[in-house]
Amino acid sequence: MKKILFTLGCFCTTLLFSQGNCLLYPEGSDARKACELAYEGKSLKQGSRESQEMFDSILKLNPEYDWAYMEKSVAYLKRGLIVEGLELLDKAVELEPRYNLPYRAYWHFQNRNYKLCIRDLERYYKLPNAFIYELTPGGDKDMRLLLAMSYAKEGNLQKGIETVQNCLKSYKRESDFGLVDYHILGMLYVKNKQYKKALEAFDKQLKMTEDYPDSYYYMGLAYKALNKPKEAKMHFEKAKDKFLDDSHIRNGYLCYKVYYSDVLDEIDALSE
Amino acid sequence: MKANKTYIYIALLLVFLSCNSKKETEVTQKPEYLDDIGDTTFNPALDNANFKFCDSTNVLHKRASVAYTGGITAMEKELIKKYKKQPAFESFTGYFFIRFAVNCNNESGRFRWEIVDEEFKETSCPKALEEEIISTVKSLQQWNYPIYRGKSYDGYTFIIVKLKNGNILRS
Repeated sequence: MKKILFTLGCFCTTLLFSQGNCLLYPEGSDARKACELAYEGKSLKQGSRESQEMFDSILKLNPEYDWAYMEKSVAYLKRGLIVEGLELLDKAVELEPRYNLPYRAYWHFQNRNYKLCIRDLERYYKLPNAFIYELTPGGDKDMRLLLAMSYAKEGNLQKGIETVQNCLKSYKRESDFGLVDYHILGMLYVKNKQYKKALEAFDKQLKMTEDYPDSYYYMGLAYKALNKPKEAKMHFEKAKDKFLDDSHIRNGYLCYKVYYSDVLDEIDALSE
Repeated sequence: MKANKTYIYIALLLVFLSCNSKKETEVTQKPEYLDDIGDTTFNPALDNANFKFCDSTNVLHKRASVAYTGGITAMEKELIKKYKKQPAFESFTGYFFIRFAVNCNNESGRFRWEIVDEEFKETSCPKALEEEIISTVKSLQQWNYPIYRGKSYDGYTFIIVKLKNGNILRS
């Protein structure tokens, strides 16, 4: 099932980030030419002058081509030009919400605007043709987890937890879960001061992977709150070791991220 | 009288043509791009002349490859510690997107920024707040130049400073 989901995810990602099928446009039409130009320009370096000029040529041929607006926005958004990037991405959403709303929500999450992320994803999931298992652009997380974390960041931890739970419930078996799904659940439980439930979630997380230092850090926080300093310190030390291990999993797009210095601070505090 | 009318027609025609040709120029005018989106050319009015790229022909645009010693946590802690809030700043809630470069000597420069509101629309804030945020970000000294595929580079990066009622919010 996990493989099916991954394949479906890749398929959706491909749909989201592909130019579409040019044969769908009438032969000789500007829309067909724009689509074909997009295929020709695939090798151009993202953000380069040549690439941006290519998008302009495509949009001159077909001003309704949402993919070109979305793709042109990427370099701006990746480089901190929020105004220019969103102007383009907003146009893509206006033309084709189904394919572009999750991508804009992803950027809002990355840029710490959780209100806008919630607004886009709530709108997306209400669409009649929304794909419930929509994944992040990298294909590693369910977009509903970004929604859950956004609720949490906006102060509604309970709704965040429920959103993760509902997301996880929608999977058919254990093997459907993403690499850090249980981590996110455990992390939100810690934030909501439900430490025992957090530890249960982290137990499941460690069955998924033992290479994520953030999990040990949050387990340490849970044990600390449960007044078990020995276990807490042991887990902070594990987090430290994991951070020093080059093969550890990086924290990717998450909120409440953990950094090496956070772990050292906790170890120092418990050693005093 | 007839001659006068002819002059008026000719004048109107010239006005029409001149308007039309201006419109044509506007339509066909292409946007001018630099080599790469986000490249920041030296501006003597804004930039420190002592900041130099080690190789200005190959400055990386890989945000994540420019790190701060101690990570984002350490950077934000320092930023918040140095930030001097004034009562007038409380009117502002929004975001600063601050782009800059870090050269291969770990110096920062070429700062540019956009200020947006909670809807991510361009906005403004009290001038003193803008100066405080930018000077505080410029004072951060622990940036590390990018190492990509084993090689050192100059690189561009950006940070987001999120403010609520004039207070900097941590990530």
